[in-house]
Amino acid sequence: MSELLIRNACVIDPINGIDGETMDIAIRDGRIVEDVNDSTAEVVDAGGALTLPGGIDSHTHICGTKVNFGRYMSPEDMRAGRTPRMGRMHATSGYSVPTTYGTSYRYSAMGYTTLLEGAMAPLEARHTHEEFLYTPLQDTLANTLFDGNWAVMEAVRDGDTKRVAAIIGWTLSAVKGFAVKLTNPGGTEAWGWGKNVSCIRDPVPYFEVTPAEMIQTIVRANELLHLPHSVHLHCNNLGTPGNYSCTIGSLGLIPDLNDRRQTLYATHVQFHAYGGSGWDDFCSRSEPIARFVNMRPQIVIDMGQVMFGKTTTMTADGPMEFNLYRLHHNKWSNHDVELETASGIIPVLYRRKNLVNSVMWAIGLELALLTENPWQCLLTTDNPNGAPFVRYPEIIGLLMSKRYRDAEFATVHPETGHRVPLPAIEREMDWHEIAVMTRSGQAKALGVLEIGKGHLGVGAEADVAIYPIRIDEVDPSVEYQKVVDAFRCTDYTIKRGRIVSRRGECLVDGNNTTVWVRPKISDSYDMVRDEEFVRKFDRYYTVRMSNYPVQEEYLRRNLWRRNLCIETEAEL
Amino acid sequence: MRVTLTVRPREKPFLPIEAETIVPRNFLDGTDTTVWRGNRELPLDAVFSVSVEGNAETAAEVEVVMRGDTALIKRVGEYMDAGRIVVEGDIGMHCGNFMSGGTIEIGGNADGWLGREMRGGSIICRGDAADYCASGYRGDKKGMTGGVVEVFGSVGDFAAEHLAGGTVIVHGSAGDMAGAEMHGGTLIIYGDCTRPCANMTGGTAFVHGTAYDMLPTFRRVGTIRREGRTFIQFTGDIANRGKGNLFVGDCRYMD
Repeated sequence: MSELLIRNACVIDPINGIDGETMDIAIRDGRIVEDVNDSTAEVVDAGGALTLPGGIDSHTHICGTKVNFGRYMSPEDMRAGRTPRMGRMHATSGYSVPTTYGTSYRYSAMGYTTLLEGAMAPLEARHTHEEFLYTPLQDTLANTLFDGNWAVMEAVRDGDTKRVAAIIGWTLSAVKGFAVKLTNPGGTEAWGWGKNVSCIRDPVPYFEVTPAEMIQTIVRANELLHLPHSVHLHCNNLGTPGNYSCTIGSLGLIPDLNDRRQTLYATHVQFHAYGGSGWDDFCSRSEPIARFVNMRPQIVIDMGQVMFGKTTTMTADGPMEFNLYRLHHNKWSNHDVELETASGIIPVLYRRKNLVNSVMWAIGLELALLTENPWQCLLTTDNPNGAPFVRYPEIIGLLMSKRYRDAEFATVHPETGHRVPLPAIEREMDWHEIAVMTRSGQAKALGVLEIGKGHLGVGAEADVAIYPIRIDEVDPSVEYQKVVDAFRCTDYTIKRGRIVSRRGECLVDGNNTTVWVRPKISDSYDMVRDEEFVRKFDRYYTVRMSNYPVQEEYLRRNLWRRNLCIETEAEL
Repeated sequence: MRVTLTVRPREKPFLPIEAETIVPRNFLDGTDTTVWRGNRELPLDAVFSVSVEGNAETAAEVEVVMRGDTALIKRVGEYMDAGRIVVEGDIGMHCGNFMSGGTIEIGGNADGWLGREMRGGSIICRGDAADYCASGYRGDKKGMTGGVVEVFGSVGDFAAEHLAGGTVIVHGSAGDMAGAEMHGGTLIIYGDCTRPCANMTGGTAFVHGTAYDMLPTFRRVGTIRREGRTFIQFTGDIANRGKGNLFVGDCRYMD
């Protein structure tokens, strides 16, 4: 039995309605409890420092085949962020696509304890789980791609929502995924024909279904399976001028089907909030999108903030990456995943002197500031697409300080002011809102509150981040640099009751958990018994169906690793 | 000030030594520095017998002389900004990485990556240099940006890859793909080479001998006279909309 007592913590815990109260937190065996034995427990004195639940990143690309390909193809990136071996820490390298240990240590130093890999192709799930093994300091979850899944598209064409649900349910439990991800639905399949879909009403070649039909059917199927998370959507038409109307069209398809959480999570909306008819009149359309989201509690978005500097873009959206390649003429990688999806990778440099990049930078901030309810707009950079996650502290500073935003705005392309509403936005976020946007909002949106994530109430997992800043002494709108510095490196990051990182130094080896879902489905909807599904699987895939699932043993090959299966009762 | 480093006989002479600390500036405050062999950090005088004559106020007044079996001493002169290094024999890989000033003189041969991503200064190699002489590093788009590399012998493959500025002079022949991806600077090869300047977008290259396996994506412009010789002028690489200039004494296309 291990006990830990955190004294004098200035706690902000939005889920439990605690806003800046100084209190003690008692931890026993990795869970938060009422009290522990003061004389025997290990004591950490927070000294009135800001204490939050462990950070959760609800959309980041950290593990899997495409991330690894980003590493291969950018040896210059691997040179950019090297750290030597130190104590328990392995040597790391890489800046925008670090090694798995690098990712884990840097997230941990920033107080993050749970990460959701944004896009895992089911066929390549093993690689993702393999890399999860070596991301030791965070719990990991994986969004599973269904945007170009042949069986799903056939079922959507037939209007059979239950069959769609059955296929998704079987695949998720086979590959140990956590939620349904749609990346440019239909577009990744059209990419197999060298094409794309321009928006939600464009039919996919051969399958003759539209993205709109796919989104609507899969959203309903998701609710039939009672999955903890909603559908996670990367809208069609990413990164093209004028795409905001397509984004609003996609969001408008979504009914309110769930009273515990949103019905749709739209990711990196910054890349989908562009106005204009070409690059010459490119401008921000964050206002209509934020207004739309404000009126619809069934939608949660994340920022996908762009920060200036070098990074690597990687997404399952193959056709979009090809368009980027044609703009940049640099290296490009492209991949088609059999019956499932596609992907592409290119390195990019976002520059202040570039008007388009400056507008993109502004749009991410506007979305966060114009969305009234912080539970509906979460903080991400779509790491590493907008910027590497190590830039999160600067984004927090920008959201909390108008003065910081103005100082940065003065350095971007001079034309930017005519094209974005950012300079007119006065809002400055407070500590509570930042806590929502970096952990509690994520926990609610992902549906992992029940397993004790994202809050510090009794019974919660003891994931705690103590930041070296006193909220009563610092005025974030003026002393924004102190805020940025504090969020860069915690005093203590505690993961399931163990101190894993102290002032940036990671102290222990892995103890993480992979969380996945298994919907309980009746035999009549069990895909393994479905003759047509099995026949087509064996006909078209390059692997046999029996070799396709990731065995459960695969997730717990180390003694200290845990895997947590959330079982749901599907209505099938 | 002259610092003479004579390599002591080593028990395992085939193990390379990482000696990025051998830079004139580092000797201004004594020779109390270290080098690495594998994962072992060794004091400088465990590997070299060190002798110092005179003293110096600035790095420019420091001359480092290396003697003995230096063929596996790597990264000598990395980030060097002033002064002089004289290597009497051969030198290991990555000599003069990122150097921005001063002079390195090598009496023997140089191993791979001589003067990689060099910013300024000069390197003179009396023998041959191996692959990737004066090139950029893996993945990066910019190689050498300034300074001079002069090799009196021949060089290996990918010489002056990603060349962006400065001058590279090879008195012997170059291997395959000399000047690949170059976008600035000058490359002069007095001997022969194969497939020069693939994908070049800018800069100037001269091949006084014969360019074998000449790439078909270079457009022939005409002939010019220079230094009493006739060169065939090409521009390219048009496969990449390049506007580089390539002058060759003679060329042969692949059969």
